[in-house]
Amino acid sequence: MALTDAINELSFPTAATAARLAKPSEIECEVMDLFDQLRNPVLRFALSFGIPVHDAEEVVQEVFVSLFRHLQSGRSRKNLRGWIFRVAHNLALKQRYANQRSRDKTASDWNIAEEQFDPSPNPEEQLSSVQRQRRLLAVVHALPEADQSCLRLRAEGLRYREIATVLGISLGAVSISLTRSLARLIRADGR
Amino acid sequence: MPMLDEDRHLSDQELLLAADGELSTRLAAQVHAHLAACWDCRARMAEIEGTIVDFARVHRQTLDPQLPYIAGPRARLRAQLGELASKPQASSWRRLFQFASPMRAAAFLWATVFICALAGGLLFQHSTPRGTNLTAALFEAGAEPDRSLTPGATRRATVRDVCSMAHEEVVAEVSRSLRQKVLQEYGIVNANAGDYEIDYLIAPGLGGVEEIHNLWPERYTSQTWNASVKDALEEHLHQLVCGGALDLSTAQREIATDWIAAYKKYFHTERPLSVHSRVDSVTRPEISQVSSREDRRTSSGRNLFLFVLWA
Repeated sequence: MALTDAINELSFPTAATAARLAKPSEIECEVMDLFDQLRNPVLRFALSFGIPVHDAEEVVQEVFVSLFRHLQSGRSRKNLRGWIFRVAHNLALKQRYANQRSRDKTASDWNIAEEQFDPSPNPEEQLSSVQRQRRLLAVVHALPEADQSCLRLRAEGLRYREIATVLGISLGAVSISLTRSLARLIRADGR
Repeated sequence: MPMLDEDRHLSDQELLLAADGELSTRLAAQVHAHLAACWDCRARMAEIEGTIVDFARVHRQTLDPQLPYIAGPRARLRAQLGELASKPQASSWRRLFQFASPMRAAAFLWATVFICALAGGLLFQHSTPRGTNLTAALFEAGAEPDRSLTPGATRRATVRDVCSMAHEEVVAEVSRSLRQKVLQEYGIVNANAGDYEIDYLIAPGLGGVEEIHNLWPERYTSQTWNASVKDALEEHLHQLVCGGALDLSTAQREIATDWIAAYKKYFHTERPLSVHSRVDSVTRPEISQVSSREDRRTSSGRNLFLFVLWA
């Protein structure tokens, strides 16, 4: 009888399974909470690699499915935010490589900067603001990739220790990278 | 950086570490004391912080407008996790194969042969796409789509975009191949003509897109919460959004999460208004009625084209 029930359950999930699906486990809830907190930052970070939005969204989904598996298998919960961004970093790089191979043209933030609405009060200020925005983006794009990632991760609120985990570099390297990038941005801005 | 030299100016790195709160308490206090006494270093600190603010603003301004609304991806992730959670983990399988005795191993072997034979028979009888038995059962019971299959999907669109859509964009025709995919996904085979329409969960007029995660077979024959009622809600939400009374992302979220709840909320009723729930031989189309239904919808200027299923 038990065996038959088990077979039936495997073949045709019953109301019990449906009820279980309706009531998520603690890990599911934990992953969903982290998704709510970090989806936008992770998506922005993935987009900053120049991949299209739908690819970036897939990257984010994969990151959180991986996180679920990671937690489900009882692995380390230390520095989960750093773990999430590290997986996003690796997947976004992989996706960009795949897209480059297929010559997929995408809009990067470089192009998008020209299309954004600027809330400045008058046309002169708007022009000046757009020009500054372009100048800053030009400098960011000219930075080595690791420096760009450091800067963007810091902009998403990651601490140096977390950035070091994501990019696999030392704390000192994070500090030097950010200092170098900011110095360049200041120079470009003519401050 | 064990200790600061009081006679020299602070380096950019020291200033940045201080600004980011990455210095030890003792060093942070030394930097603070130096800044209090040194205008040059304070000016440099202001430059660094100003640049950080500018970069953070540019970073957000250039990327935020690209972010699709979270509701669809969230529902999709939730469905994926539910599916994963229902499957046994690899480690538990390993435990399953650790037998305490040869007798148990033999019993397992016989059980496996039996299960395979039975499963083979069942598969032969019910060879339908993924999750279709459960899906079809749940779907038949309600008027809402299966969230795991249809979480909703949107494009990047502003209010101006959706309110100035061309007629042909609103009346988007769902391709035959996609229509078949949706029906297969829901395990619907041998459906009667005119029982279902392939509808958008989030209407194009609200920024929804034509892709499988945003399409579902909606029953015409449901007595209460049917396709006509949902059309009325879509129309109403579109008017609210275009009139500035409702945020576009809120409209997308509410219709994707629970369109029936949204209907109740926006029409202030627990039951569909009689004018919206016309399900009879007039509104239920047959093959010959496709064009007339299309005319009815397009005449409103905003309603979706709902592809009528025929055999």
